[in-house]
Amino acid sequence: MAQTTTVTTAASGSKETSTRSSSRLQGIGRWVFIAPLLILNIVVIIGPSIAGLAVAFTDWSGIGAMNFVGLSNFGRLWQDKIFFRALTNNIIWTLIFLIVPVTLGLVGAYMLTGIRRGQMIFRVVYFIPYVMAAVVNVQLWRFLMHPRVGLGPWLAQYNITFLDYPWLGSRATALYAVAFMDNWHFWGFLLVIYLAAMSAVDVELYEVARLDGATRLQQFRHVTLPSIRPTLVFTLLMITIWSGLVFDYVYITTGGGPANASEVMGTFLYSSAFERFEAGYAASIGVMMTLWVAMAVGGFVFLRRIGWDI
Amino acid sequence: MKAGQWVVVPLLLVIALVLAGCATPAEQSADGDAEAPAVATEGEVTITWWTESGGLPANVEEAFIQPFEEANPGIKLEIIPQESINDTLRTAIQAGEAPDILQTPGASFIAEFVDAGTVEVLDTYADDLGWEEKLLDWAYQSGQLGGNLYSIPLTYESMVLYYNKALFDENGWEVPTNLEEFNAIADAAVAAGINPLAYGNATWQPSNEHLMGIYLNNVAGPENVYNALTGAKQWTDPEFADATELLRQHIADNGWFSGSLENYFANSGDDANAELASGDAAMMMSGTWLFRTLPEFFDEMEAEWAWAPLPTLSPDVTEYNYQLATGSTLSINADSEHKDEAAKVIDFLISDPVRVLTLASASGFGEWMVPVPISADDFPVGTDQRIVDFFSDFAAVTGDGRIGYTTWTFWPAAPNVQLWEAVESVWVGELSIDEYLAEQQALWDQVRETGATLPVPAPGAQ
Repeated sequence: MAQTTTVTTAASGSKETSTRSSSRLQGIGRWVFIAPLLILNIVVIIGPSIAGLAVAFTDWSGIGAMNFVGLSNFGRLWQDKIFFRALTNNIIWTLIFLIVPVTLGLVGAYMLTGIRRGQMIFRVVYFIPYVMAAVVNVQLWRFLMHPRVGLGPWLAQYNITFLDYPWLGSRATALYAVAFMDNWHFWGFLLVIYLAAMSAVDVELYEVARLDGATRLQQFRHVTLPSIRPTLVFTLLMITIWSGLVFDYVYITTGGGPANASEVMGTFLYSSAFERFEAGYAASIGVMMTLWVAMAVGGFVFLRRIGWDI
Repeated sequence: MKAGQWVVVPLLLVIALVLAGCATPAEQSADGDAEAPAVATEGEVTITWWTESGGLPANVEEAFIQPFEEANPGIKLEIIPQESINDTLRTAIQAGEAPDILQTPGASFIAEFVDAGTVEVLDTYADDLGWEEKLLDWAYQSGQLGGNLYSIPLTYESMVLYYNKALFDENGWEVPTNLEEFNAIADAAVAAGINPLAYGNATWQPSNEHLMGIYLNNVAGPENVYNALTGAKQWTDPEFADATELLRQHIADNGWFSGSLENYFANSGDDANAELASGDAAMMMSGTWLFRTLPEFFDEMEAEWAWAPLPTLSPDVTEYNYQLATGSTLSINADSEHKDEAAKVIDFLISDPVRVLTLASASGFGEWMVPVPISADDFPVGTDQRIVDFFSDFAAVTGDGRIGYTTWTFWPAAPNVQLWEAVESVWVGELSIDEYLAEQQALWDQVRETGATLPVPAPGAQ
């Protein structure tokens, strides 16, 4: 009996060792499996990010030697009126994009859910501007908004004058005109996403709401919105992040002008690095942009932590 | 799959990735990359030269590359157009992958490359190959920094007054030569519902410096500009404040440039060309690089363009001048393994005025106009007489020492950028002229401390 027990224990021990060994091997295997992506991430993202952070503490011009200057780039940022104008414009840009394309996307998607035939045509039509190159979109709108040959002066010939204005040349409207262009290309993307989310909502919920006498608006408020909340919140988060990093439309259209009126952090970073050759200062602007993203993501995580269902 | 296999497969992937990453560019390009340099035959050296995309003359292959390769057996020349060449070049230099010949947007960009030790000193080549004699003196001098030669101009240009000839003839207007006449034409144009001037900076914000340079040279005058460039005057002196104020009045208060300051901000260069050609504007102050593109706009409108020297814009400036400008510069990469061969390329480019003009003719004499001594007889048959007239007059006037100074040739980078960036704030009323010029002077003071000023030829007969 004792011998049997010993044999059983030995066999059991051997099996345990084998299982533990296999488990350890599988653990290592998982790490090795993610290694290619991890290495790529370190080389392409984490490495340059750390290097960028380090450059923010130097006076590097973009080529040649760099000298450590401590926090002076950040001290200069703190006193730089153009940076604060750019930051303010990023905030305005974020508010515009959190309201206008989201509203258009939600309303458009909700209206399209009621269309059974030809919905795909609308989806494609609304989505096309999103897949068009920014340069093409900008050229189109720059022409339409041109103060001499655009839509405004053409309509003015027929006494319709409200569009006859140098939208991109005026400091009062340049930022909003660029935001309009970007909105025009972006809202169709949101519409398609919201439409996909709304299509997944259980139709029985709508039937119950209708039986209870809910109007279309009430169904939207009490059924649709709560049902697509994770998608909605995710898009709001991404819009907040993208608005902090916005560059292409502003750079191509106004370059941040006139007189810095449409300057955003991205264009200010670019002009610092490639026009004024202050790569160290540009890197400090990059750090601020990273902080923007961190705050957006941190806010999202915080809301989840305190129990928001997002 | 057994646990061991879970380890092996990704491990192989990692190894493959690492090996791919370790491959040299040459190994990668040998796989058929269309942009990759052609593989040189044994003993053959390939010289690479990146140039601004869109600036390459259409005849560069037959008028330059082939003759060069025939004259220099064993050297293959590759000229590769690049978008935003300055940005591309800076990145390539940092990565140690820059071409043998470095092309920059102008002399003021060289200082930074010199500081970084990325450009070769060219004095030995210049002495051996006689470059000083082959180039116009001011152009040769413009490539010097701290007593050493670092660059050779690829093209030279100046600023002129373009005008719509038919419009002038129709209204009986004479080309203005001074401020009084200029104001009279501008008033007459406004009365006729025509914009006195066309211009815009929507696609090229540094267009502002074209105007600032014109007003500095024609209001304050070349003597004063020279003195400020060499430190004998301050940029805060009243002459420069007057020049800045006159431009502010014309562009912001009067709206003479394309109708309003807002229109100026919304106009691209092509918009301005079209505005002038269509007769919506009477004149345009711009550079001779437009010899290349402006005729197309006028041809389309079946109109006639003409040019004249810029009017003097102050009673204190009595004679017109031509501003000196180098458009792009060529240097040799300090890390190049073929510096001697690269120098041969540059020498071949500047050695034959007829070849220079043949190349420039393919760019409408707006690009690749290498600053070599030329005469009217050197121009190819059929060259537009207006262009021949300009270069003849330029040679005569600048030969008399009536020269002005473009900001992108004689201003170091930092004060140059401030000049065209911050002036918008002056125009919109956010920055006073005194503050603007004080910032300009402060930047010059910083540059002088580092000794990074550029050589400036003195005005007046030498």
